[in-house]
Amino acid sequence: MEVQLIKIEKRNDVSRSIYFLTPVLAIFLTLFGGGIIFYILGFNPIEALKFFFITPISDLYGLSELLVKATPLCLIAIGLSFCFKSNNWNIGAEGQLIFGGIVGGGVALLFYNHDGFYVLPIIILSGAIGGMLFAMIPAILKTYFNTNEILVSLMLVYVAKLLLDYLVVGPWSNPEGFNFPETRQFSESARMPILFDGLRIHAGIFITLITVFLSWLILYKTYLGFQIKVSGLSLKTAKYAGYKGKTMIIIVFMVSGACAGLAGVGEITGPIGQLHRNISPDYGFTAIIVAFLGRLNPVGIIFASLIVALTYLGAETAQIFLQVPKYTGQVFQGMILFFLLGSDYLLFFKIKFLGLKKNEL
Amino acid sequence: MNTKLKVSEISKIYPGCIANDKVSLEFGSGKIYALLGENGAGKSTLVKILSGVVKPDEGEVFLNDESIKLNSPLDAKKNNIGMVFQHFNLFETLSVFENLSIDSDKKDKDLRVLVDSILKKYNFKIDLDIPVLNLSAGQKQKVEIIRCLIRNPKVLIMDEPTSVLTEQETDDLFISLKQFSKDGILIIYITHKLKEVLSLCDEVAVMRKGKVVSVSNTIDEKIESLANKMVGENLNTIKKKINNFKNSKEILKISNLSFKSDDPYETNLNNLNLSLKKGECLGIAGISGNGQNELFQILSGEIITEGTSIMFRNKEIGKLNPRERREYLMAFSPEDRISQAAVPELKIYENVALNNFKSSNFFEKGLVNEKKIKEHSKKILSNFSVNTDNVELKSQFLSGGNLQKLIIGRELITSPELLVCFNPTWGLDVGAINYIHETLIQINEQGKSSILISTDNDELLKLSDRICVIYKGKLSKIMNADTVTAEKLGILMGGGSID
Repeated sequence: MEVQLIKIEKRNDVSRSIYFLTPVLAIFLTLFGGGIIFYILGFNPIEALKFFFITPISDLYGLSELLVKATPLCLIAIGLSFCFKSNNWNIGAEGQLIFGGIVGGGVALLFYNHDGFYVLPIIILSGAIGGMLFAMIPAILKTYFNTNEILVSLMLVYVAKLLLDYLVVGPWSNPEGFNFPETRQFSESARMPILFDGLRIHAGIFITLITVFLSWLILYKTYLGFQIKVSGLSLKTAKYAGYKGKTMIIIVFMVSGACAGLAGVGEITGPIGQLHRNISPDYGFTAIIVAFLGRLNPVGIIFASLIVALTYLGAETAQIFLQVPKYTGQVFQGMILFFLLGSDYLLFFKIKFLGLKKNEL
Repeated sequence: MNTKLKVSEISKIYPGCIANDKVSLEFGSGKIYALLGENGAGKSTLVKILSGVVKPDEGEVFLNDESIKLNSPLDAKKNNIGMVFQHFNLFETLSVFENLSIDSDKKDKDLRVLVDSILKKYNFKIDLDIPVLNLSAGQKQKVEIIRCLIRNPKVLIMDEPTSVLTEQETDDLFISLKQFSKDGILIIYITHKLKEVLSLCDEVAVMRKGKVVSVSNTIDEKIESLANKMVGENLNTIKKKINNFKNSKEILKISNLSFKSDDPYETNLNNLNLSLKKGECLGIAGISGNGQNELFQILSGEIITEGTSIMFRNKEIGKLNPRERREYLMAFSPEDRISQAAVPELKIYENVALNNFKSSNFFEKGLVNEKKIKEHSKKILSNFSVNTDNVELKSQFLSGGNLQKLIIGRELITSPELLVCFNPTWGLDVGAINYIHETLIQINEQGKSSILISTDNDELLKLSDRICVIYKGKLSKIMNADTVTAEKLGILMGGGSID
């Protein structure tokens, strides 16, 4: 019997430009894959993709919606990049977002009959602190008890979700709300300022942009950023260089949790305006894709967040015009990740065919 | 049975390097041939061609005047060419006999008879029914050799076989090899250890830069003459001055230090005691895996112990991490230069920034001072003759020797009082080894101390003022280097005791 021998080898010199181009390739492959799916479902693929990716952003309202969705995605992904760059696998940004929302929302409810410029900053800050504290749970358990941060952070998502559920149904539900599972509407001064009349885009985008800039500064220009980079590449080297591994784990989780908390508070004080059961359409999970699609690079993450935000919008348009469920959006997000990981594998490894060999067993 | 093996005009070209350049050699049975050369001289490529792993671009191999095609390791086996590689290819959890039978098409019963007769003939003492993981390195190598002998080899190629053996195991191996040779097996022995060539082999072929530069009888050669042929230049052999440290200040003292690891693959250290004087080099010998790794990490601060157990210049440093220890003027060069001492994906200057000592100002107020780091890196590259001046180069593109120079340079440019290095020259070519050795002697001459943990006994004997041996996590008594011989070290390394 003859068998084909295959060997997988690591490539040593991956060019930087190709490294940043593969995400683009992954997006094109996703479009292609999506086209095939639509074709199988009986749609004209070009038309369907147009409904999915062009129609949603063909007017000002659509563009504003794109930014509304990209704002939290970008913010969370930036935070996650701190964790992922240093080999810490925080999968629970969704939980940190919700917990940040709970704390920020709680403060907003406290101030529901207050007016004043100070109200919103306090809410934002408390939301960030909420997310940060929630992210410290897996960090501390990892550093002091050697638990696996992937499991702990993921499980805590459900804790946060159930806590929110309990609060909006029970103690925090709107006394005049006919037992609907939601809180009061926040007061005007607890809401993010709207940037343009009639559009939902809000001041949260500035928080995101400032965070992106600060992250770039920290990651590329500071000692902390250097330590994060070294730890991500080789924990052995970080230990040898004497970096305080435990402190750094806690710091990156704090940053990442704070960003997710900010995203949560941005949602409830921005487009939502109250607390209810579904304050996030899984932004915290989708941001993981955004972070990797953006190559954990602040600028890359901005572009990636726009593209992934488009899949949210496209799913909604497709639901209206094509009568396909809006979960198609998640199919597209999944495909992006799949194709990105696939092309990355081929980028970092080459497959060598060693020719046919007689198998003499 | 007479065997003649001939390689004729063999060439193999890899992108950017000619590994074999028209290599022609002749071998005949009854003799032991040495193939000598530095790393990268092309001997491994030639061996791979003979064992069918690599196909030559040009040239032919003749066995008994017949041209043979070696397209795969299987072809080599069919032509009765046996090969024992430096690294063992054994299944650790299977028994010795199972390992042998996997590779053989004989029935188990016949195989056992055959193996028993081989064991008897060559006086090998190996229990066939215990798992391989319980064997010592020397015994594992014997299993590899038996695996070749089962096939009645005409040619047996040994690739640097003694790198994992103790002195006694090496002696044993040489006795066996001489016996094989008497029985008509042609033996090709690949090495870069000159002493072994002289004590074992009849003829020696020296390779340099892909070419055969000399073929001669070993009787006519001396260590110096072979070394010069191998390197291609006259090496001035460095000698260390014997010093007397009676009146020198003690700079490091370790007392009653024990370390118990949670990891079953690590070695526990047991009640270590040692002291080091200013300007002295303490060598620590031992077969790898006897606790050297753990000892290095305890010295570097990667493993933290009780404060009082390590005193450095009268300060308790047991609790300090590596960066903090560097502030007290210690420096460390770990064994794993490729992925621990440096990060291959980082640029040279970024790797230099890993040694962030206080006066460096690499990171002012938490910000990266790239200019300062690059200036400092340039200085290291030129002071320590690293073969590039491009600090932006990723360190994965440096050769082993240049990378080690960069690391030693990075550690030494802070003028530390103590340098701890662990196998600083493994895998390097003679030129680079020489450079590193000179540097290590130099720092002692400047009154700085060093601890050299090494598995290379020649290196230890050459550089150390005092030597001790680590065996199963325990240190032997510390001896003056001039009273130590390779034989004594060998006994201690194998767990024996000397008076």
